[in-house]
Amino acid sequence: MATSRRQFLTMASLGAMGAGLGLAGCSRGGGGGTGGGGGEDGVGLTFTWWGNEVRNANTSEMIAAYVEANPGITIEEQPGEWASYWDRLATQTAGNTAPDVIQMDMAYISEYGQRGALLDLAEHGIDVSGFVEGTEASGDIEGKSYGVNAGINTPVIMVHADLLEELGIEMPDDTTWTWDDWLELATSISEASGGDVIGTSTFISNDSMLSGWLRQQGKELFVPGNEPGFTVDDIVTWLEYHQQFADAGAIPSPSQITEDSSVPLDQSMFVTGRTAMSMWWSNQLEAVEAAAGKEFAFLRFPSIAGDALQRKAWYKASMLWSVSARTAHPEESVALINWLINSTEANEIQLAERGIPANSEVASVIEPLLSDGQQRVLTFINDIVPELGETPIAPPPGGGQLSPLLLRYATDMLFGNIGAREAAEGFYDELTAALGA
Amino acid sequence: MTELATARPRAGASIARSLAKHLLLIVASLAMIYPLVWMLVSSLRPTEVIFRTPGLWLNELYIENYIEGWTALARPFDWYIVNSAIVVVGAIAGNLLSCSLAAYAFARLKFRLRNLWFAIMLMTIMLPFHVVVVPQYIVFNNLGMVNTFLPLVLPKFLATDAFFVFLMVQFIRGIPKELDEAARIDGAGHLRIFGQVMIPLMVPALATTAIFTFIWTWSDFFTSLIYLTSPDMYTVPIALRSFLDATSGSNWGAMFAMSIVSLVPIFFAFLFGQKYLVKGIATTGGK
Amino acid sequence: MSAISELSKLSTRRALSPEDRAARRKEASRDNKAGYLFLLPWLVGLFAFTLGPMLASLYLSMTDYNLIQTPSFIGLDNYARMLDDARLHQSLRVTFTYVVVGVPLQLALALAIALLLDKGMRGLPIYRSIFYLPSMLGGSVAIALLWRQIFGTTGLVNQVLQLFGVPATTGYVSDPQYALWTLILLHVWTFGSPMVIFLAGLRQIPTMYYEAASLDGAGRLKKFLTITMPLLSPIVFFNLVLQIIGAFQSFTQAYVVSNGTGGPSDSTLFFTLYLYERGFTNFQMGYASAMAWVLLVIIAAFTAINFFAAKYWVFYDD
Repeated sequence: MATSRRQFLTMASLGAMGAGLGLAGCSRGGGGGTGGGGGEDGVGLTFTWWGNEVRNANTSEMIAAYVEANPGITIEEQPGEWASYWDRLATQTAGNTAPDVIQMDMAYISEYGQRGALLDLAEHGIDVSGFVEGTEASGDIEGKSYGVNAGINTPVIMVHADLLEELGIEMPDDTTWTWDDWLELATSISEASGGDVIGTSTFISNDSMLSGWLRQQGKELFVPGNEPGFTVDDIVTWLEYHQQFADAGAIPSPSQITEDSSVPLDQSMFVTGRTAMSMWWSNQLEAVEAAAGKEFAFLRFPSIAGDALQRKAWYKASMLWSVSARTAHPEESVALINWLINSTEANEIQLAERGIPANSEVASVIEPLLSDGQQRVLTFINDIVPELGETPIAPPPGGGQLSPLLLRYATDMLFGNIGAREAAEGFYDELTAALGA
Repeated sequence: MTELATARPRAGASIARSLAKHLLLIVASLAMIYPLVWMLVSSLRPTEVIFRTPGLWLNELYIENYIEGWTALARPFDWYIVNSAIVVVGAIAGNLLSCSLAAYAFARLKFRLRNLWFAIMLMTIMLPFHVVVVPQYIVFNNLGMVNTFLPLVLPKFLATDAFFVFLMVQFIRGIPKELDEAARIDGAGHLRIFGQVMIPLMVPALATTAIFTFIWTWSDFFTSLIYLTSPDMYTVPIALRSFLDATSGSNWGAMFAMSIVSLVPIFFAFLFGQKYLVKGIATTGGK
Repeated sequence: MSAISELSKLSTRRALSPEDRAARRKEASRDNKAGYLFLLPWLVGLFAFTLGPMLASLYLSMTDYNLIQTPSFIGLDNYARMLDDARLHQSLRVTFTYVVVGVPLQLALALAIALLLDKGMRGLPIYRSIFYLPSMLGGSVAIALLWRQIFGTTGLVNQVLQLFGVPATTGYVSDPQYALWTLILLHVWTFGSPMVIFLAGLRQIPTMYYEAASLDGAGRLKKFLTITMPLLSPIVFFNLVLQIIGAFQSFTQAYVVSNGTGGPSDSTLFFTLYLYERGFTNFQMGYASAMAWVLLVIIAAFTAINFFAAKYWVFYDD
């Protein structure tokens, strides 16, 4: 009796263990096999990107089309979501298992590229010959092409046009307006609405607006050599300019600003109609309009000179395609990227979901297929060609800290804890330390 | 009823006390249940109005979120629930088995270096997890286990959750020693004492372990994120995040709807599991 | 697997006669063997998956390591740098406040509710499940959204205050003065885990003790102080030790509520949040590892004090 029970216990535990591990060891669906091993005669690529379920479905469809047209190639998909995407990519890179084809962002391309984690695409036949000017070199760092533009983006200022009309305020002429006009307009909105609608969401820690403002003075956010392209005094001026917004009630309270900085797009004060203006990227127009359930007007960002031709606009890569430096299949990976950026087939599937394609021929082929919002963006992108300045260099390693750092010091100033100079100095010191590290 | 009639004054007082207790608990329950109600209400609103409609009042039931949430991802949502279930069942079996063995050793057996090993065990839960992620990933990668469920399950069979070992040690130390000494005098070996004396007495601790393992594994995001790279292997928390992307539009409605769906198993697991929490020594052999 | 069958062969018999030296030694060595056999799974896990990565992080703490390039050894530089890292000091202040305030409050609430939900009334399973609900939702995205919705500038709290005529517009989660306190509240509110452990512990107390005490005419308070507290003390001790360890490492809730920034103005910059920022956002895994080992020493010190103090208040039957 005792023996059999003992045996039973032993058997039962071993059984549980075996069953548990047996189940756990197996892969479900097509999930088997890691890394870029591939079949005996085929090539296996891994492909990672971030996005929501719409982009995931688009991308899977593109991959299926590519695999069908290229027998012998298999592609393992690794989709993700923005916030956690970078944790996984960093871990995989550290473990030497970074995916072959990587959707990259301007904020991270130097971190990975300068440290040797990304392949120089130019050496392996990347084809950007069809790209519009200002987009071919988006992912170039010190002469190496670590990434290629996957969609054009440019900063715009979106406006609740209907609100302005209700308040009897005229839309500004965005070809002539200045930074002070922005302040004036925002102030008048706050006043006219009696505080129900605040003039503008703040752009105090917005790196693209700061960049535009600096560029109009012949400076840059970053200059080669991993250094900031501005001085403490520039930041003091910038912060004092924004203090005027705060004093006039033209931007939200510091506590609302903090709140606004940590919410997703669809809960932002602008989308929910609590501010009348806000800076966005052009490829966010559709998402913003969908979330708000209405159409927005969008404007060029202002200039110091009051002349849009001198506003030094630029095309930013909404995201880039990169290849891991440790890939076993550099040629095949680059071939896939070439197909993604230059083929009408791929872009007829994804349309402008990643931003307007940089290949102008492809863009014009898909134009009739685009949604109304995307067509407005495409028109805008084409219209601003004469206003483009030089493309800014990619932010250096640590450069991604600029915005969070500036936000921290700026809100400290707006809360009244420190003065503009103190904030500017603290920000500048921490930024240079972050860049040096 | 008859009791009530015969002992009216005392029964009256105890009814009043019980009513007061219920009232207090119901009020407190409201504060506990508010998030769930809010999630439920949000899951029945179109995404565009979720964050623009205050209050909990629903004008219409927008069940499309559930249909969409169930079908919007690469696989129907039950696929991810099954993945999670595989991991959860493995993790529970592993933790129950391995942690109780280790706990018995630490609590009842005297062996060389016991205190040292015990201190080391405690140390393993003191180091913040983010700095061991990368080395651990390298270990599992070298073992060829990335993109299988093994990194999520195998360690559980090896008692790496020191939390539960320590928990069971404390429970075993609360069990009167006469019980296992009596078994020893009867000539029982350690395995028999463990299996026939300890395990039945440890039911509350085992239930606690099972419940916590269930809930923590079910909602574990980071480990799944790192080790399960292919969408077919996704567990529920990863699938839920697929509805969201901070840089573009998020499908909040579908996310809330599927969150509610994924809460159902753990809520019922707890509801039915909790009766074992209260099956202690008081109701079994100890009396 | 052979370990288990080996174990089943071990049959021990208590040395009954007092001529025992040899017997006792024999028993001790039997325990030795059995001890290590029972411990075997844990030992394998320790050496296979836990200890290696821990030692690796200890080594990395003495290197400059950006996750991408090979680490380069720099001795104790990372540790030295921590001395004048103002944000690190801020994160320690935040974390200590959280531990010192949050842990006792949460444990007291968990114990009180567990006693209330222990037995003797209808509907207990439902109440228990409801009180555990917040812990089930834990660190999910939904909780972060909800917390902002309750404590935001236009949140529930302010709406209620406005009903009473208070012109409240503070965003509690986004004001440096209050933000940490909302997180402490969140921590206290998720008291489910210690509550469940207390519930399980309460049921380990034999009812005969209470029956005997009732016969002696002991009141409720006396029973609580002389029976419940001493017999529950190992469990209270467990919860105390583990909750302190957990609170020091608290990450998820602060991460989701502040969207990973530790803001506003670093007022919710928990130690592990800052560590994560250094390691994964700034690619300074060497520095992050050094921070981790400093935290380990702090936690170990607290735990050691706990174990030392336990001698005076924790009651074991062995």
